[in-house]
Amino acid sequence: MTSLADLLAQARGSGPRATRAAGRLMTLLENEPGRLPELLQAAGPDAPQPRLLLGLTGAPGSGKSTLTDAILGVYRKQRPEMKIGVIAVDPSSPFSGGAVLGDRVRMMRHATDPYVYVRSLASRGHLGGLALGVKGILRVMGLLGIEVVLIETVGVGQSEIEIVRFADEILVILAPGQGDSVQLLKAGLMEIGNFIVINKADNPGAEELHHQILAAMKLEPEGRQRHVALVSAVEQKHVDELVDAVEAAASGKEAERLARRAASQVQELREALLESARTRLLQAMEQEDHARDIAALGSLAQDFEPLVRRLLADAARP
Amino acid sequence: MSARILIGKPGLDGHDRGAKYVARILRDAGFEIIYTGIRRTPEELVAAAIQEDVDAIGISLLSGAHNSLVDRVIRLLKEQEAGEIVVFVGGIIPDADVPGLKALGVAEVFGPGTPAQTIVETLNGHLARARANAS
Repeated sequence: MTSLADLLAQARGSGPRATRAAGRLMTLLENEPGRLPELLQAAGPDAPQPRLLLGLTGAPGSGKSTLTDAILGVYRKQRPEMKIGVIAVDPSSPFSGGAVLGDRVRMMRHATDPYVYVRSLASRGHLGGLALGVKGILRVMGLLGIEVVLIETVGVGQSEIEIVRFADEILVILAPGQGDSVQLLKAGLMEIGNFIVINKADNPGAEELHHQILAAMKLEPEGRQRHVALVSAVEQKHVDELVDAVEAAASGKEAERLARRAASQVQELREALLESARTRLLQAMEQEDHARDIAALGSLAQDFEPLVRRLLADAARP
Repeated sequence: MSARILIGKPGLDGHDRGAKYVARILRDAGFEIIYTGIRRTPEELVAAAIQEDVDAIGISLLSGAHNSLVDRVIRLLKEQEAGEIVVFVGGIIPDADVPGLKALGVAEVFGPGTPAQTIVETLNGHLARARANAS
């Protein structure tokens, strides 16, 4: 087995071996998210990170993947020298653990473009619309010199809004036919996007939805500026204006972004520590004597607090 | 960890029923499937497989162009330092062509009517062997 440090060194090289190593490094961090600190240490403090993380979220079938593809197209035309990444998350089956990751189908025209890196992830039981592997993959994309990353969530309902923690700019994508204007008042998803994108402008009902959203925006508190866009991802109409608006919104917010990256790094390190502690605690709980004591908790034959201390002490042993 | 498998259809035939069926049964067997749709080039499939770091590629073909397209996929994988990715083929493949495909490096050819369980078990066997070789 190749070590994380070896893969990183290979991934920083060039040619097919580097591409291959980058993909394998992403897999390693997806499977073992607790190894993020190891990657950070191996990469060093000045390791490049993406400039802009753009979140795309919305209900299943609202056109997130098609819009991601259209945005890729606009960026490739406007900034041909810029590397761009996509992280697309689809749900895992709660029954089999398997998944069909189908977002990439919409983006295959970019498959052989060396400036585009697309990675599909299964949520693997993680709630919130993303997957545990996202942060490690973002890091690796940064190391590859990728400047903009589009993060596409699973098709969300009303409250899977973890994307807020990761992305600098968030596009909430709506399509006509998903409910009346009361839906627009509800808390959760509709609150998070600084861009509300009405997709499928080529379909009936899109204009009306656009007007409803514009009306709803009048109820927003002073100073909360949200952009509303009406686009057709499939016809690639008005997507270039959307990208311009996103870049304009992102410009001049460098300090804010750096602060968010630093804060989220601390949070990621905490999660890595928790993950590692959790694994060890689970191992301790599986030991025969502890398993017996845990079962006895239900019959009051066992005190809770002393058991917790014994488990923690065992988990702490190397 | 769930093995990752790319399913793709290189070439010009548009019949994706078989590819979707296999994607579905493999999903239900706990695999993570990256579905890439119809009318792909071998170059697209191989580039996607490497970015996605899949353990296997399933190629579905009904067009009759399997010999040249599969050969191209396997050659590209080797060029890209990814020769260890397991390649399996499904679709309409004449029996006479199966030994040739296997000689190219194809792990298995699954014709119409292959039971789901056979596909899953055979694939698991090949993936276990590939993992053992890698470590």
